[in-house]
Amino acid sequence: MAGAIIENMSTKKLVIMGVTLLLFQAFAFMVGGLIAPSPTTAVHYLAMKCVDTTKHREETKWFMPWGPNQCDKIQNFEEAMAKKIEANNIVFAVHIPLPNKEMSPWFQFMLVILQFDIAFKMYNQIEDGSLATIDVGLAYRDDTVSEWTEMAHSFEQRKLSCNFTTAKTFENEGRYYECDLLPFMEVGSVAHKYYLLNIRLPVNERKKVNVGIGEIKDIRLVSIHQNGGFTKVWFAMKTFLTPSILIIMIWYWRRILMMSRPPVLLEKVILALGISMTFINIPVEWFSVGFNWTWMLLFGDIRQGIFYSMLLSFWIIFCGEHLMDQTERNRFSVYWKQVGPIVFGSFCLFIFDMCERGVQLTNPFYSIWASDVGTELAMAFIIVAGICACLYFLFLCFMVFQVFRNISGKRTSLPAMSKARRLHYEGLIFRFKFLMLVTLACAAMTVIFFIISQVNEGHWHWGGAHGADEHSSGQCITGDNGGNSGEDIQLTTTITHVDGPTEIYKMTGKEAQE
Amino acid sequence: MGTDTVHLNDVVKFRYLAKLSSVGSIRDEETCERLRGLIQRQVQICKRSVEVMDAVRRGAQLAIDECQFQFRNRRWNCSTLETMPVFGKIVTQGTREAAFVYAISAASVAFAVTRACSSGELEKCGCDHNVHGVSPEGFQWSGCSDNIAYGVAFSQSFVDVRERSKGQSSNRALMNLHNNEAGRKAILSHMRVECKCHGVSGSCEVKTCWKAMPPFRKVGNVIKEKFDGATEVEQRKAGTTKVLMPRNSQFKPHTDEDLVYLEPSPDFCDHDPKMPGMFGTVGRQCNRTSKAIDGCELMCCGRGFQTQEVEVVDRCSCKFHWCCYVKCKQCRKMVEMHTCR
Repeated sequence: MAGAIIENMSTKKLVIMGVTLLLFQAFAFMVGGLIAPSPTTAVHYLAMKCVDTTKHREETKWFMPWGPNQCDKIQNFEEAMAKKIEANNIVFAVHIPLPNKEMSPWFQFMLVILQFDIAFKMYNQIEDGSLATIDVGLAYRDDTVSEWTEMAHSFEQRKLSCNFTTAKTFENEGRYYECDLLPFMEVGSVAHKYYLLNIRLPVNERKKVNVGIGEIKDIRLVSIHQNGGFTKVWFAMKTFLTPSILIIMIWYWRRILMMSRPPVLLEKVILALGISMTFINIPVEWFSVGFNWTWMLLFGDIRQGIFYSMLLSFWIIFCGEHLMDQTERNRFSVYWKQVGPIVFGSFCLFIFDMCERGVQLTNPFYSIWASDVGTELAMAFIIVAGICACLYFLFLCFMVFQVFRNISGKRTSLPAMSKARRLHYEGLIFRFKFLMLVTLACAAMTVIFFIISQVNEGHWHWGGAHGADEHSSGQCITGDNGGNSGEDIQLTTTITHVDGPTEIYKMTGKEAQE
Repeated sequence: MGTDTVHLNDVVKFRYLAKLSSVGSIRDEETCERLRGLIQRQVQICKRSVEVMDAVRRGAQLAIDECQFQFRNRRWNCSTLETMPVFGKIVTQGTREAAFVYAISAASVAFAVTRACSSGELEKCGCDHNVHGVSPEGFQWSGCSDNIAYGVAFSQSFVDVRERSKGQSSNRALMNLHNNEAGRKAILSHMRVECKCHGVSGSCEVKTCWKAMPPFRKVGNVIKEKFDGATEVEQRKAGTTKVLMPRNSQFKPHTDEDLVYLEPSPDFCDHDPKMPGMFGTVGRQCNRTSKAIDGCELMCCGRGFQTQEVEVVDRCSCKFHWCCYVKCKQCRKMVEMHTCR
């Protein structure tokens, strides 16, 4: 192992480097927290009940809930009853966004959740396993005066899973059922300014369509999109980070090639990890601002998938190469047992994702969870992936255990060794322990940040730290680059490794936001 | 009971708004002048935000409906008058019933305005600068705050202004302000948190949560519970300010969410021509088997009751659609009906 730097660096330098990294990270967290808003926003919509007065249904007619040319509205269905309006003539209209606002491509994606307000009536209860059949159309326009252009139209079925928590008596008539949120729509790009949803719940008694779904009082929607400010900060971080990682990667690989021996497996894996990290970091999302690329969401998923499988493989191989049991590994095929579950698991998730988000490219209202077969299939994929993850984790634990066992074995025999051998093993041990410590620290920080963000939700935008975090890892690497001009292949190992967990708690940060 | 007329603001006079159906909808500023029951400051608010007034009116109607539902089995059943105040004299005194009416009214305005926001009827709402916690950068940078913040803020400015204009010193004003706030708290502290995961493949690595308003029936139930456990208070001086403290010092002090009242309620047994809204319980239906307040013993105040056999035409074996269609057979049956003497 020529040119390992971390073993022969002085403690002082190591401490200085550690503190600098920590400072950068803290600084980046602050910047992220202060500048970036929370990652996503949820907006509530209450569907306006429009009356379709036309005798023959025109497909091109769109109903606006408010503003000029708004539809004929009714406040509640008692009014409809009095006016003898039928269920088939009622259109629930929702305009996204609310008045005087505009959507923007910076929102990146938009997903919409549907909720029915269903009142309990003794004689009109929700039947078990009843399906709501929804006839829904989505239209867009880019100014407030032009005609609406249809974007998608579909008949969808959603299973109502509602329960009534109090006793089913006359006394409790008028209380609402508690219904699960229903996934409704997902679009991977927000290229237009205004969107309009027209929802109908057609009734057909003969075909048992929308019969036994109780007394619907209201339809509520919640739309979720990424905040424009967050997107901008995030893109800025990515744009800043990508070249730095790229430069370090090239520099690293050049160093390796300059050595007389061919690169070992570990070094190749580090390069692969670097490539996958660059791949996930390249800010191709910039294009989504100019182009209407709905597949961006799917593409992002795939990139993340590749990165994670690479990271998991790296951990396994890193442990394997530090086993110190005299076996010659240095070949990828040796690790098939451990890497196999990763590949298989991520393949399962890929298929699942294609079934969900892939289909959504053509029909934004599609959800694999809406049908029973789909739910089972999706669950099957996820369970298989979960089993793979467990398998992987067991392998990893076992390997770490083996390494520690070998370390303590080597420790006892260290004094008896020749100086060169001793130094080699001491180096290995030190590096490994350092790495374990860093991993532990990262895990601890993940947990701490998670807890903090849970405690003071919203006040301090930890979620914003996500972008900052990448920033900090970028700083880690660049800091290391400037500080130690020696051949620090091994240090890059550790640093690249540090990056993995930061990526992960970038995620947790986002998740922990609320 | 006049649901066929519009009210705006009565007890807290705006409830009269629910009785003003003759006005149709409140569209222009002139209508504000013609609304009865509003004080000058409220008329100003009305003119400044005319588009909200329809929602306020719906809120007033909601408050009356909910009040009548919650009190359907009690001696005082929240019956309304054609004249003002809509609920009669009862609520102009500092009774428990008044506490309930104030709380449910403040809550209903916040509720109705929030709903109007979500349906797009109003333009300011969550992005309004009067709402606490709105980011200066606006909707595209970081989104707006929840509409409920606007609903509550509007309820505070519109409903409370009546008491504030009287000056803080009067103990009635203090009581009403407290109960108004308690009503709004009944919504705020029962907001449901709902979450959606939308990470890679829909996993929970990215999650967005939001708060959803409880159904108004739930709000009514909460305030009714607070009514049952309301605290009798009196005014005391704490330093330079006047505060309401429990009359019985053994009781623990009330919280922001509890209802308070100043004087005990009458028994509501007899019709009192001098007290509008005091209809008494003569002719009210009661439940012979119940020992509670809806039981004939208590409801009729010991005057006894009479029993009649009545034929009731009921709907049976009905077919429903989710909206607007019911097809039933008519079933006739004989029932015993008990009414108070």
